[in-house]
Amino acid sequence: MAKEFHELRDPIHVFIRMDSDERNVLNSRPFQRLRHVHQLALTSLVYPGATHKRFEHCLGVMELAGRVYDVITSAGNLHKDVREIIPENDDKKRYWRKALRMAALCHDLGHLPFSHAAEKELLPPDWNHERLTVEIIRSAEMRKIWDAMTPPLKAEDIVKLAVGEKELSKFEQISYTPWESILAEIITGDSFGVDRIDYLLRDSYHAGVAYGKFDHYRLIDTLRILPKKSESAQLLDVEQRSDFTDCETVTLLGIDEGGIHSAEALLLARYFMYTQLYFHHVRRIYDIHLKEFLKAWLPEGGFPVTVENHLEITDNEVTSAFLAASRNISAAGHIPAKRLVQRDHLRLLYQRNPDDIRRNPDAARVIYEAACKEFGPDSVQIDVYRQKSSESPHFPVLKGDGRIVWSDEESEILSSKLPILVIESVYVAQEKLANAQKWLAKKRESLLEVSLEEEI
Amino acid sequence: MKRLQRAAMLVTLAEKLRDHGSWCGETHIQKGAYLLQELLGIPLELDYCLYKHGPFSFDLSDELTSLRADKIFDQEKQPYPYGPKLKPGEMAQKVRDLSPKTLAKYEQHINFIADNLGDNDVKALERLATALYVTKEGVSGGDVNARATRLHEFKPHVPMDEARQAVERIDRLWQESAMLRAA
Repeated sequence: MAKEFHELRDPIHVFIRMDSDERNVLNSRPFQRLRHVHQLALTSLVYPGATHKRFEHCLGVMELAGRVYDVITSAGNLHKDVREIIPENDDKKRYWRKALRMAALCHDLGHLPFSHAAEKELLPPDWNHERLTVEIIRSAEMRKIWDAMTPPLKAEDIVKLAVGEKELSKFEQISYTPWESILAEIITGDSFGVDRIDYLLRDSYHAGVAYGKFDHYRLIDTLRILPKKSESAQLLDVEQRSDFTDCETVTLLGIDEGGIHSAEALLLARYFMYTQLYFHHVRRIYDIHLKEFLKAWLPEGGFPVTVENHLEITDNEVTSAFLAASRNISAAGHIPAKRLVQRDHLRLLYQRNPDDIRRNPDAARVIYEAACKEFGPDSVQIDVYRQKSSESPHFPVLKGDGRIVWSDEESEILSSKLPILVIESVYVAQEKLANAQKWLAKKRESLLEVSLEEEI
Repeated sequence: MKRLQRAAMLVTLAEKLRDHGSWCGETHIQKGAYLLQELLGIPLELDYCLYKHGPFSFDLSDELTSLRADKIFDQEKQPYPYGPKLKPGEMAQKVRDLSPKTLAKYEQHINFIADNLGDNDVKALERLATALYVTKEGVSGGDVNARATRLHEFKPHVPMDEARQAVERIDRLWQESAMLRAA
């Protein structure tokens, strides 16, 4: 008799269990492609252990999504004011659990080679990896798999949960029910999305950076669906006075107060992982060199957006191409390829810092432009990253006496404001670094002097 | 428009909205900036799409976070379930001082928006901004009922009579701001 459930060993979650329908997705061509897409792009050039792939991350996200679903829909964990959004029928509950796990499994199918590296510049306008994910889930190849399931899953349900309302709204007119919003939040949520929980734990493990660890068992066990309409605030008042970012949403994913320390640990882990790993200055400049290579090497300077062409290109094809280009002086992208292969990346000259920003809010840009004039634009690069609004989460906490408060009211650590991450770094070619450092030391004061706008 | 020039515009808008009694959360800045750009033609260079509560710019949302990092904006936290208010931060005056020409050129435009939106709640802002969105779509050559119907299709929780009032209000604002657009 064929097995109904299958186990996979995993270094983070020990065992990941999946049913036969989920295994059919795992065996599909779009999912198998993820075996060849690094989770952290070229980070292994800095942290040698970070060679893990999107494949195992997606399995981990599916495992966690199922666990969260079971916790938040458990009868004993349901707040009295949210019961109406939960399906009453057991078949429906099973359907949505299955759809959620499937969406979690598929949420990264659209990733480009080397994951996030500069997709905005390498895809046509209005395209990103989420939109490619949607195209793949809706493809004829995947529809066959959805239709063959028991019960059949609707591709549109998987799309909604895998991508989330915010991303889907960027390219489609769409509306979510409160139940769909909560399920999508389980995967993509700013505070407790299992995508983030898995990548922090997994990236930390593989990179050997302990900062990413936190007690996710406790955290998941304390997650709750919480109502926006509390007894202390009339909805009408909220609608008239407050802000849409926080009103009119019927429910939010929050925690029981017993989970506040694990939630603090999650948010601190995220902050440190960003500062120590994701925004490591050498990792960032390798991403830039990879982008330079791809722009030169790809036909028309960007990736294709048809499902068929997308599935044909992975890290393997790109790696093979930049290795070849690094050896051939006349090849497209030879210079950035050589920088990648021979570790001849640009070196850090300047990083944004609070003192300079107080003097000149545009400090990095001013220094970059002056360095370009002095050393030539081919020898200078600027890297800018500004934290997204979705990365500044606050969430509701259910108190023992039944009140609901914001996390920053409950936790002194969370109310103390973690810095908002902004990266502004200027790099210069290795052979010009010594001169550039002397130049900057001499010119720094005058460069930081602000000037009034010259033009509108 | 350069980033710091836009920051000067946004923080001035926030200050004037607050002066007019606005709650001044992100929605108020979002809709205010939308009307500045789409009603008065100020080149803020923000991409808007129709989201949960009307036109919304994800770029602007990210930019407001970034401007908090630069201390150009600050947040006032509110008790659950209210969202935070936004106010000028310690660097706000500095960016305003750096962009005198931009602010002089668009001062009246910002005043117009603050005068007309300052006392609006988020529901009214949603209706008004969506009315402008359907108007800019060019629905049925500008027919009020057709635009109100379109608004109601997008936002079924907005009753038809309120949708019609919002469209008529946009038409009035369009006429009243003709001089500003021409400036």
